[in-house]
Amino acid sequence: MRVIIIAIFLSAACKLQAQFTFFSPKDAFAIEVSLDNTSLKRLPVYRNSISSLIVSGDYILGGTSADKGLSPYLFTASLSRRDMASIVDLEKIIPGQKTVQTGFCLANKNQFFAGTIGNGESADGHLMELQLKNDGGIDVKDLGVPVPHEGIFSLLINRAKTKMYGITFPSGKFFSYDLKTKVTDVFDDVAPAKKDIGKFNEFSLKPENYLCKALIEDSKGLIYGSAPVNKLFYFDPASKKFNEFAELPDVWGRTVMGQVETWAKSNDGKLYGGNAGDGQLFIVDPVTKKVKNLGKPIMMNRLRGLAFGNDGKLYGIAGALPGYAHLFSYDPKQEGFKDLGNPSFTMKSPGIEQGIDWRGFQLGTIASSEDGKYIVMGEDESLSQLLIFPVSKN
Amino acid sequence: MRIKNQLSAYLFVLSAFCISLPEVHAQETKITRDNIRFIDYPGFPEGSSSWDDIGYNPVFNSVFVGTTNHKDKVALYEFDANRDSMKFHGFIGDLVNLRSFQWQAKIHTKFVADAQGNMYAATDGGESREEYLMDHPHGYAGGFFLKWDAANQKLVNLGMGLQYESVKDIDIDITTGKLYAVSYPQVHFTIYDPAKNDFRDLGRVGSAHVPRVMFSDQWGNCYYVDWRQRFVKYEKKSDKLLFDDKSIPAFPGTPGEHIITGITAFAKDKINNVIYFLTYGAKVMAFYPQESGIGRVKDLGGVIDVPGIEKWNFYVPNLNVGDNGKLYYFIGGHGKYAKKGYSLLMEFDPASGEKKVVSEFSENELVEATGSDTKDKEGNMYFAGKREVSLDEKTKNKVFSEAGSKPTVPFLIKFNPGKKIN
Repeated sequence: MRVIIIAIFLSAACKLQAQFTFFSPKDAFAIEVSLDNTSLKRLPVYRNSISSLIVSGDYILGGTSADKGLSPYLFTASLSRRDMASIVDLEKIIPGQKTVQTGFCLANKNQFFAGTIGNGESADGHLMELQLKNDGGIDVKDLGVPVPHEGIFSLLINRAKTKMYGITFPSGKFFSYDLKTKVTDVFDDVAPAKKDIGKFNEFSLKPENYLCKALIEDSKGLIYGSAPVNKLFYFDPASKKFNEFAELPDVWGRTVMGQVETWAKSNDGKLYGGNAGDGQLFIVDPVTKKVKNLGKPIMMNRLRGLAFGNDGKLYGIAGALPGYAHLFSYDPKQEGFKDLGNPSFTMKSPGIEQGIDWRGFQLGTIASSEDGKYIVMGEDESLSQLLIFPVSKN
Repeated sequence: MRIKNQLSAYLFVLSAFCISLPEVHAQETKITRDNIRFIDYPGFPEGSSSWDDIGYNPVFNSVFVGTTNHKDKVALYEFDANRDSMKFHGFIGDLVNLRSFQWQAKIHTKFVADAQGNMYAATDGGESREEYLMDHPHGYAGGFFLKWDAANQKLVNLGMGLQYESVKDIDIDITTGKLYAVSYPQVHFTIYDPAKNDFRDLGRVGSAHVPRVMFSDQWGNCYYVDWRQRFVKYEKKSDKLLFDDKSIPAFPGTPGEHIITGITAFAKDKINNVIYFLTYGAKVMAFYPQESGIGRVKDLGGVIDVPGIEKWNFYVPNLNVGDNGKLYYFIGGHGKYAKKGYSLLMEFDPASGEKKVVSEFSENELVEATGSDTKDKEGNMYFAGKREVSLDEKTKNKVFSEAGSKPTVPFLIKFNPGKKIN
């Protein structure tokens, strides 16, 4: 009798589950990054939106964005210990900054570069060099201001580790920074013209909505990004020339919203990009310079991040406020898109040892571990956490 | 999370079948069925429940309630305590001219009153339907703030909160009329000033499940909880959220899903400046608010002791404090019962810690009661109740037979431990 009753109830529960599930793979977990007013190593409210992520060995390195007038943090968390390892209040090193959203450029082992956007109009954004220590600590060195009165919106280091390239905020100028000579060259070629800004104003778009949020380098050393309005360009460092070679895929009537906000390079050298304007995933063939629209993983706009797992799939974050972000995967060979929805992982920490469910609504960043076995996502919230899940080849 | 809860509910009911629960007997007391009355809501036969949407209007000595078919219709009622009569004001969609794409499935918030006797509440999409269809052309638009304009006897639409989000609870700063609210499912703490039409989002403060209850104090501060069941206080003076550095006490072994769900009900002893509250981990607490800083919490113990049932595993989404200083609450609901098949009316003396069952009700009489701090001038306490429909009723009545597997009927509970009201 007992077995029959169990079967009836479990069958009812399974039906419910089939109607509505969260993405909760086995061995997924959340790390508590943010908790206000605590003696634990945590970030305070409104200063913890995780806007930059990279994984180096066992450590997740993160950079945050803060609310207006507040300053961001750098932090590390351990994948194996599933806990925070260190936090650095950037205000104590480079005062007056608001955002670290460039991602981290890996120079040499445990050496990274990143850029900041300052608080207030015309604030100076800084370049900084980070050294990740064996215990997860972070040494931060201020490299100064590459472009006065401009923040650093996006940043890339070349494969030779000799130069960095970036887009400034709010003007959208392209710059290069020579790591040896410390010389910065600034170019106006991809900055929005007056007439472009007029178009953006008609749509109530601000620089954060139309400037190129991510750059990528192809196998020949060309640097790719987006330029107003709805253009894709590449920069040839040898000739210092810009080439607008294609349009971003768009939805009728919404062309003006085109903006690359993420890139990922596959093993075969193809460049996968995400268009914020309408949330399309697209692919650029760096040889032919042809662009293929792969479509929208979900119905919303925004495509905030991309990262390859070691299972060959591309994982990404689609959507944002006022909706929810959805985690999706894209399998170029078989499956195509799969909408994985909101992840909901267990978070354990001192004081909540029994574990609580943490559901990721607003995911801002995504990165894979060096071996591709873990996908790490950072939230964009007033109290943001890390959500991590394993991927396997099988 | 909700699926997990539903699964635990199934498993709990299952355990009730398989394990012999100890009997809980009503102890001898002067309180009898004459002290309690169930009052019907007219004009909405398909209404199935009333959730937490009940509140007292001290200016007009009346009780407001919203009942719902849990799909797309919410009826507004006012019980006039002076005349002892229930009035059906109408359906909120019609009263505030909502279009079909602005459908609302519930009022989940309590009703709160301002100094002039206007009442406020906000709407909810009704969970599954809402979540399936969020960000969707046919989806849930978002919850609206509503005002019952007492002078003109009409419901006023104060506009939407966060797009696509429901509103699970509200409270009011009685000195300014500002409304505090929490959204579902993203657990955003928001503040709305109807006088200036100023809506502020203070951000996400919770985890995978939205704590259903917030409350305010005499200074206009508002209290909520984070995922560690720590108090989150909107401190009016500093215009900031304060986070307590410690969690509200919980029984050892309380599961995470109970911790993150926080507070289930509260009641204010305004004379002694104590706010009593209950947790989703079945504890009774006394809270001593203060104008600045968080305030002190005193653990008064569990809601009931039943051998064989974990102390944290009781569901009590209601609380009132009587004129005698004692707390009254019904245990039971959402598949969790201290005594299988019965809701228990409890009396808890905060002074001595003594608690006793004063009455019990079968599921066909009362299956769940909700509501916080709803007491009229005469000391009568009110709860939003509902009962399960008997098989016989279901067979005979088309409304019930078409209402799903377990139809329920909402009604208002009036209770006075010191007076016969029946």
